[in-house]
Amino acid sequence: MASKKKLSLVAVAGAAALFASAAVPAASQAATTKTIAFVMGAINDPFFNAMKAGAVAEAKAKGVKLVWQGDVQYSPATQIPVVDQVLATKPDGLVLIPTDPVALQPSVAKAKAAGITVVNVDTHVNDLTDVVSFITGDNADGGAKAADALATAMRYTNGKKYQVVVGLTSATATTNVARLEGFTKAVAAKYPGIQIVDKAYSQSDSAIANTNVNNWLTKYPNLRGIFAIDGTNASGAAAAIQAKGLIGKVALVGYDAYPANVKLIQKKVFSALIAQDPAAEAKQAIDTLVDFWAGKTSTIVKNVVIPNVVLSGTTSKADLKAFTYVA
Amino acid sequence: MDKAKFNAKGLLRNQQVILLVVLFAMAAFFTSQNSIFLTNAVFGNIISDWVPLVLIAIGETFVIISGGIDLSVGSAVGLSGIIAAFSMRYFTAHNMTDNLSLTLGLLISIGIGAVVGLVNGFLITKANMVPFVSTLVTLGAARGLCIVLTAGGPIADGPSNAIDLSVPKVGPFSYPGVAVLGLVIILGLFMHKARFGRYTFAIGSNAFAARSAGINVNRHLVKIYALSGALAGIAGMYFYLRLGVGSPTSGQSGELNAIAAVVIGGASLSGGVGKLLGTALGSLILVTVTSGLIIIGVAANWNQVVVAILIAAAVFSQGIRTLGKKNK
Amino acid sequence: MTSQTPIYEARNISKSYGSVDALVGVNLKIHAGEVVGLVGDNGAGKSTLVKCLSGAHQPTSGQMLLDGKEVEWKTPHEAIEAGIETLYQESGLAPDLSVSSNVFLGREELVKGPLGRLGFLAQKSMDKKAHEDLERVGIAVPASNRAVSQLSGGQRQAVAIGRAVSWASKIIILDEPTNHLGARQAGEVLNIIERVKSEGFGVIFISHTLPHVLQVTDRVAVLRLGRLVADKPTSEFNSETLLGTITGLIGE
Repeated sequence: MASKKKLSLVAVAGAAALFASAAVPAASQAATTKTIAFVMGAINDPFFNAMKAGAVAEAKAKGVKLVWQGDVQYSPATQIPVVDQVLATKPDGLVLIPTDPVALQPSVAKAKAAGITVVNVDTHVNDLTDVVSFITGDNADGGAKAADALATAMRYTNGKKYQVVVGLTSATATTNVARLEGFTKAVAAKYPGIQIVDKAYSQSDSAIANTNVNNWLTKYPNLRGIFAIDGTNASGAAAAIQAKGLIGKVALVGYDAYPANVKLIQKKVFSALIAQDPAAEAKQAIDTLVDFWAGKTSTIVKNVVIPNVVLSGTTSKADLKAFTYVA
Repeated sequence: MDKAKFNAKGLLRNQQVILLVVLFAMAAFFTSQNSIFLTNAVFGNIISDWVPLVLIAIGETFVIISGGIDLSVGSAVGLSGIIAAFSMRYFTAHNMTDNLSLTLGLLISIGIGAVVGLVNGFLITKANMVPFVSTLVTLGAARGLCIVLTAGGPIADGPSNAIDLSVPKVGPFSYPGVAVLGLVIILGLFMHKARFGRYTFAIGSNAFAARSAGINVNRHLVKIYALSGALAGIAGMYFYLRLGVGSPTSGQSGELNAIAAVVIGGASLSGGVGKLLGTALGSLILVTVTSGLIIIGVAANWNQVVVAILIAAAVFSQGIRTLGKKNK
Repeated sequence: MTSQTPIYEARNISKSYGSVDALVGVNLKIHAGEVVGLVGDNGAGKSTLVKCLSGAHQPTSGQMLLDGKEVEWKTPHEAIEAGIETLYQESGLAPDLSVSSNVFLGREELVKGPLGRLGFLAQKSMDKKAHEDLERVGIAVPASNRAVSQLSGGQRQAVAIGRAVSWASKIIILDEPTNHLGARQAGEVLNIIERVKSEGFGVIFISHTLPHVLQVTDRVAVLRLGRLVADKPTSEFNSETLLGTITGLIGE
């Protein structure tokens, strides 16, 4: 699940200093086609499938060869052997989604030693010295956007009280942490009437998320809104709202544009869905590598943040389609 | 004095009585913390969690009484629900009525679950693999298939009235919930009053004796694992009704909850001993803990700790009672 | 009752496992109402012969006759169906099941009507019949709905024999039924064997405990290295000659 990604949103301070020490581009090997290997977190996740679609399109556009690898589990223990295999095939560039900021650090060093250019996407290793660029979706911003969407859906007016709950997957998954932090900060700053009365964890299981929401709806008869922090929580909460006949009465803002959930925007079950843009992240990664090899280092940004998008009833059909994760 | 003492002892020897006491004590505690606990709405939430758990826990009870273990039930729930979801999406796209589509979905779900169980049965009886390993194989294979087939996301676009069926209608029970309650009673009779159950106990108690008594042990084991899978299939369909979509993570870790319910219910992992009523109450206790902790506002992470304590208490009390028997 | 035709007969039975000859040309006759002791050292072929007689294994060559008619067992079940019950050394009871459930195991009585077709059990009737069957051979078990695990070793063995008796119609094969039992309990088991004999069954009694063999059997067959070395009325043995025959000190 996208939510399991370990993403520490440590601000990359002193980017300039790091920049100076970045690897000198290898002399361009001219005519030969460059190979870029992507190593995923969990290869079947719809989030990464969407990323793949973006990567395939951009690789074609830029004339590079794309290698797509990853284990089914989101785990450093299974990812490291995959990275080793990929490095053995000597690609020109490695786009790595490290499943752990510490455990994957040696793999980056190994790649660098072999003359392979490394980019991090979505999550990053702790020491970015050997990493040309780190590209990620802005989860904190996504959380803030969720707060805005929820306030709008509840027709927030100052002076009134609004009870809301947050359904999470885990207390430590960094995407969850960042989204919750963004949400909480925005609520505190802009919507003092919103009280976050409860939180619970679903362990990536929609049925558990459903149980949590069912019980909250019983416990808080005046509940006005739910923020479901990822795809599985969104599915579970949507089912609870439908089963209890509360569509339009309890506002629901979800995360991740699973096709099934995007459809529920039209049914007004979701007031809004916050979506990441993995295809844009992949495109950015390929462009960065191509620019790097072409010597255009001045155009490369060390830390790229790609904003999350809000999908709601007013989003155009074309945009809904474009941002829906590939199943 | 003697007689009174004997009765008290007799009652305490009865795991079902203890479980009922625990259940009432828990309900009283949760109610004292938040009076909303004692409402039909909360019971409805509890029952909607109980239905899928009791289904796989009953299958697990048959398996454990026969001396085996079925680690694949959770994955079988996921896979059967997913295949049913794909099928119902196809039926709906081809203008089949919702009710027909749901009925076929249920049959397909049961069928897929039973196939997982049959694979277990054949690995155990024909390939001579121990149940732990063979069901570990199917656990991985079925869950892997779920992820591969769905690419990780939920499968929607099935019958539009699916979620409505999960709504409580008869007290805290939804209509499918009532059907499952009936099924639980019937399976209880088959376990304790019919030949099917008798053979199950005999095999778990002494497979050699069962075989020399002319029981076709292998055939019976295949039936037990198929039953366990088929019940997981019903649970898979039930999750579909609850979520309105087929979710690839449905039933995740279900096998552990099922085993916990069976152990709390008083069955012995070494086989030959167990009661279906115990398992039904054990599952009810587990889901009551889940809902209760949410209602009284204790962090849900405590859930696992409470369950662990319940399991330890159940096994401990079982040990005491067996000791009592042996000393006699 | 004492017809000249043996109720069960093995003629010239041989059994090889690969190049190992476990049994070579063994002949054995059991008449109705007769207890035949089968003795021999470890590896003499007792177990192999029992397995052939009970249908667990098929002899490599030779014939078996039941009531004078040649028979061939493909599975133990076929032998059971024909009226031959075997009580193996490994306890043949399911300890977690009740006495009557054990007695009726594999041959449960079902209730009449549609529920019976679904496999529902006539438990009360089985409890009653099990009790009667056990009493018939002198076994007093407190309650037939009690779990076997709650019985003493001797009581368990008695129930196991009782189970065999209530199902056998012709032959009962008892493999070391007095093993691991105290003197009093063993005595009870031997009494039961006497009762079984008087009911007209043919009994094959396999044991290492020679005093038990001399006490309960009518005839003793001695195996050594897969061959039958003696088959004589028990009265012609005493414990020394029997031991000598088994070990080969007194020989052919």
